Amino acid sequence: MINTEILVVGGGPAGLCAAAEAAEHGAKVMLVDDKDVLGGQLIKQTHMFFGSHLQYAGTRGIDIAKILIENAKKAGVEFAPGATITGIYDDGVVTALNGGKFIKIKPEKIIVATGAYENMLAFPNSDLPGVYGAGAVQTLMNVNGVAPGNRVLMVGAGNIGLIVAYQLLQAGIDVAAVIEVTDKIGGYYVHANKIRRMGVPILTRHTVSRVWGKTSVEGAAVVEVDKNFKPVPGSERNYAVDTICLAVGLTPLTELLWNAGCEMRYVPALGGHVAWHDENSRTSLEKIYVCGDASGIEEASSAMIEGKIAGLNAANALARKTKLTQKTYDERMKDYRAQLGQLRRGPFGEKVRMGTSVLAGEAAALDEPIESLPKDYRSFPKGARVIIECEQNIPCNPCETICPHNAIKVGKDIVNYPTLDPEKCTACALCLTRCPGLSLFVVNREYSPTETEISIPYEMIPLPKKGDAVDALDREGKFVCKGKITRVLTGKKFNRTSIVSIAVEHKYGDVVRHFRASAAAKPEEKIITPADIPDDMDTIICVCEDVTRRQIEEAIDRDRAQSVDEIKRLLRCGMGPCQGKTCQRLIMQILAKKLGRNVAEFSPQTYRGPMKPAPMGVLAKAHDEEKN
Amino acid sequence: MRRITEHPILTFPQGKAMRFSFDGKTMEGREGDTIASALQAAGVRVFRESINLRHPRGFFCAIGRCANCSMVVDGVPNTKVCVTRLREGMAVETQHGRGSVDIRR
Amino acid sequence: MKKKTDVVIIGGGCIGAATAYELAKAGLKDVVLVERDTLSCGATGRCAGGARQQWSEPANVRLAKASIEMFKRFEDEMGRDIGLVNGGYLLCAHTPEEAEHFKKNVKMQRENGVDVRIVDPKEIREITPCINTDGMILGAYCPDDLHVDPFLAVQGWAENAIRLGVDVELHTEVTGFKRKGNRVSAVITNRGDIECKTVVNAAGPWSQDVGRMLGIELGTYPERHQICVTEPVKRMLWPLVVDFYVSIYFRQSAHGSFVFGHSDPNEKPSYNIRGTWRFLEEISKKLTTLMPSLKDICIVRQWAGLYDMSPDAQPILGKVSEDAENFLVAIGYSGHGFMLAPMSGLLMAELIVYGEARTQPIDALSIKRFAGGRKHKEHNVV
Repeated sequence: MINTEILVVGGGPAGLCAAAEAAEHGAKVMLVDDKDVLGGQLIKQTHMFFGSHLQYAGTRGIDIAKILIENAKKAGVEFAPGATITGIYDDGVVTALNGGKFIKIKPEKIIVATGAYENMLAFPNSDLPGVYGAGAVQTLMNVNGVAPGNRVLMVGAGNIGLIVAYQLLQAGIDVAAVIEVTDKIGGYYVHANKIRRMGVPILTRHTVSRVWGKTSVEGAAVVEVDKNFKPVPGSERNYAVDTICLAVGLTPLTELLWNAGCEMRYVPALGGHVAWHDENSRTSLEKIYVCGDASGIEEASSAMIEGKIAGLNAANALARKTKLTQKTYDERMKDYRAQLGQLRRGPFGEKVRMGTSVLAGEAAALDEPIESLPKDYRSFPKGARVIIECEQNIPCNPCETICPHNAIKVGKDIVNYPTLDPEKCTACALCLTRCPGLSLFVVNREYSPTETEISIPYEMIPLPKKGDAVDALDREGKFVCKGKITRVLTGKKFNRTSIVSIAVEHKYGDVVRHFRASAAAKPEEKIITPADIPDDMDTIICVCEDVTRRQIEEAIDRDRAQSVDEIKRLLRCGMGPCQGKTCQRLIMQILAKKLGRNVAEFSPQTYRGPMKPAPMGVLAKAHDEEKN
Repeated sequence: MRRITEHPILTFPQGKAMRFSFDGKTMEGREGDTIASALQAAGVRVFRESINLRHPRGFFCAIGRCANCSMVVDGVPNTKVCVTRLREGMAVETQHGRGSVDIRR
Repeated sequence: MKKKTDVVIIGGGCIGAATAYELAKAGLKDVVLVERDTLSCGATGRCAGGARQQWSEPANVRLAKASIEMFKRFEDEMGRDIGLVNGGYLLCAHTPEEAEHFKKNVKMQRENGVDVRIVDPKEIREITPCINTDGMILGAYCPDDLHVDPFLAVQGWAENAIRLGVDVELHTEVTGFKRKGNRVSAVITNRGDIECKTVVNAAGPWSQDVGRMLGIELGTYPERHQICVTEPVKRMLWPLVVDFYVSIYFRQSAHGSFVFGHSDPNEKPSYNIRGTWRFLEEISKKLTTLMPSLKDICIVRQWAGLYDMSPDAQPILGKVSEDAENFLVAIGYSGHGFMLAPMSGLLMAELIVYGEARTQPIDALSIKRFAGGRKHKEHNVV
């Protein structure tokens, strides 16, 4: 039995910050993560993060992971990587599986920072190899260094879909299109702009109708939908792709909280069921705290602050007195709340503001008015100046922080639009390499009597060479004119972003924002023969147990099933190894549709341990050790 | 489907080569691979056939929870290859439907 | 929901569902089954689904044997596949006392027409090649015993009862009763009252709560039993194996997963259905000792259910009080209710329709037996 004061479950941004904070105040902290490398989703994030310098804005996720791990290590946190927590039991014991051992831990407080898991989308043949979750694609690409396929269709235009599409392009993998079933791009426009100007179409009001392939994905059919999400007849288009990447939302991973007996609430704005928690991150069970995506889907920057709040409060609640003073506690809580407040301002924070107010049982506070976008933000100045093409209120200010000449202003409220003081800007282009949205450009109208030079932040390979003749592309990735590479800047101070400058005729100076090598022809779209149209009712809903949509609808129509539990008993959905994580949401959607009710009215199945399949030999060995 | 050798942001260390067998065929992976990434790099996407409908299944969640990647490894069925590190000499087999327990073990 | 009916059955588990079906089959369709949640959500939904004839009390043997015959006919009669594995049951003896006990039982069971025999360790290994027979003296093997999926069985009973005219009211909780003289005149529920001529208490682990609504102490009490299930593998075990000495039972279901559990002598009466980590360790040690080749197989889920215990581990059937003449019970099955459900349903239906059980006598299972002070305790319980 391992005794510790605070057990942190999950080594992502929330867990690492929680552990470091608590340890900083003198608590004995143990951090457990089911992977053998800590950092959670950060280790797959090659892009720069938003927020403020307090949350490492402008730093790449992979680098933030190293910083947070170092912070936790320095604070004295004990790490236990490669250990999956399998249950929080009524006697206060937390069990874990670590390779070949079944471990028991007895903590005084538990901070659950288990993150989220990806939602499944079901369509005919969605169970074919080649249909992957976006997170899985990121792991394969960025951690294992293996391409998931050759040509990808990305489903979902939230931040994850847009970012992973960009990462696929960085890895040299072709992205045929990003499709989004709603009429809006849900992610930051700057992320969308990055891939759009590389020629990737983003199609709103489109969804996958089916995929096909002999033993793995060979093609997909995409269809337009109307405002009731019904397919528009005749709009189906086939794509020759071998990989479908699903980025259709995240659901908080709350199985341990359910199982421990925490009070759970269904809050769609936070991603689904979450444990009720107060503003100190404490759940309805005195010893359990929750933070990060597990408490509600948000950005990593918020996860870090939520982690700190949880760590601070868990340390403060320990039975023995730690180094933490009331003064420090008050100061930090004030600071962390202010930071969270900043990160939750603006249109992108609306969901979380609503969700947290639902949990608190209060009306959502109105967001204070934000300054509007300056009228002439794209004005075309004389000489060389930075042009800021950041059009949404994203809480973010690394451009302001990095500028050595104080030429960019965002202000105290980091959700404001950045504005440029042309008098102070020297076009040093440092800000181009720190903008997480890659939405800053340098435009030099006086490059030559006939040419304007546009400098572009560039994170692709191969890098062009000075003098190369290239095709200059507009913001939609369309060919505009021929151009010439005038400069290629790389270097440590540029944070692995290169600056590539291209000279084009003056009249295109406000239009060109990307380029491609002239020799590179657009990849030929392979002609494919779609297979027979499969029946949508044969779509696999429960992948573990091979249960189809038809079987589930029959259970509802013929066998009077009206709940997830009843369907589970009749068809075994949710009895497989994934314990319903893949199929629950889908089943609830089917139930809601067929019974004419709201999804919120259905409860998921009871979560029962062990949360990871446990080999009996390992458990038996633990029994022997327990006896001795 | 193939290894990424060049990347604008990341560097992938060239791990030591490791040999393993897949359905009797000798394959090569690299130190640091999971069995799943080694198979994917070699172009193998089908890891098993599902238990009732015998549909081809493979890599999916990458975190060892969905069991889609279950294969028979060194005689042990239901091994989640997406979270199992590749070791020299491993014998990996496609799992057809339910795996068999070798009762002589 | 009906405001007036002939029979109200309390409880949507195997006993309630089987009784509803048998009543309708016998022509009495004016029946309302009330269940406060969903079908099988109580003890039935947590049980292992085994059905054996190998009991130490003759009445239990006869009830069980007839029930098993009914399970065999289930798919044909009900039109629903219930995942039946006709693999038999193997009981294992480790001590000379157990061995003698088994021999005595087998003799009595054979006299009652059961196809059962004593087997030596070599034969045990032939029947179950993967089992470790160390420490076993002998076994009792009945190839005619079987195991099924309890959810599908209850669904089968319920949907056929509905087809025949029974009303099944889910999410309907009984909160009390109305009386007229020495009879129950109506059942009070959260959705309204139902006037009725007969009430059947088939509330399983909550049987004592229902009895107390009428001021009757039934003597039954709930007791937790833990159980778990593995990932599926190809069929390698046919019988359900019971080892009383080690205290474990295990089967490989039609699905291919192993379902197994035990009895914990330290359990006190309670409604606790939460799992413990100690159980996972203990049960894994027990199973891997008996089946060493399963050491790499994973447990995917653990849960617990409640046995509705009676003072002598045998069910209580029929009338229980002169003050509530039409209040009948089918309770106290002490962990073997599912396997006796087919016959329980039939006998309760006969009791109600004809005023007496016809197919088999049930006097020995009346609550009156406790008044005498003598107890014939059923020993073969796990």
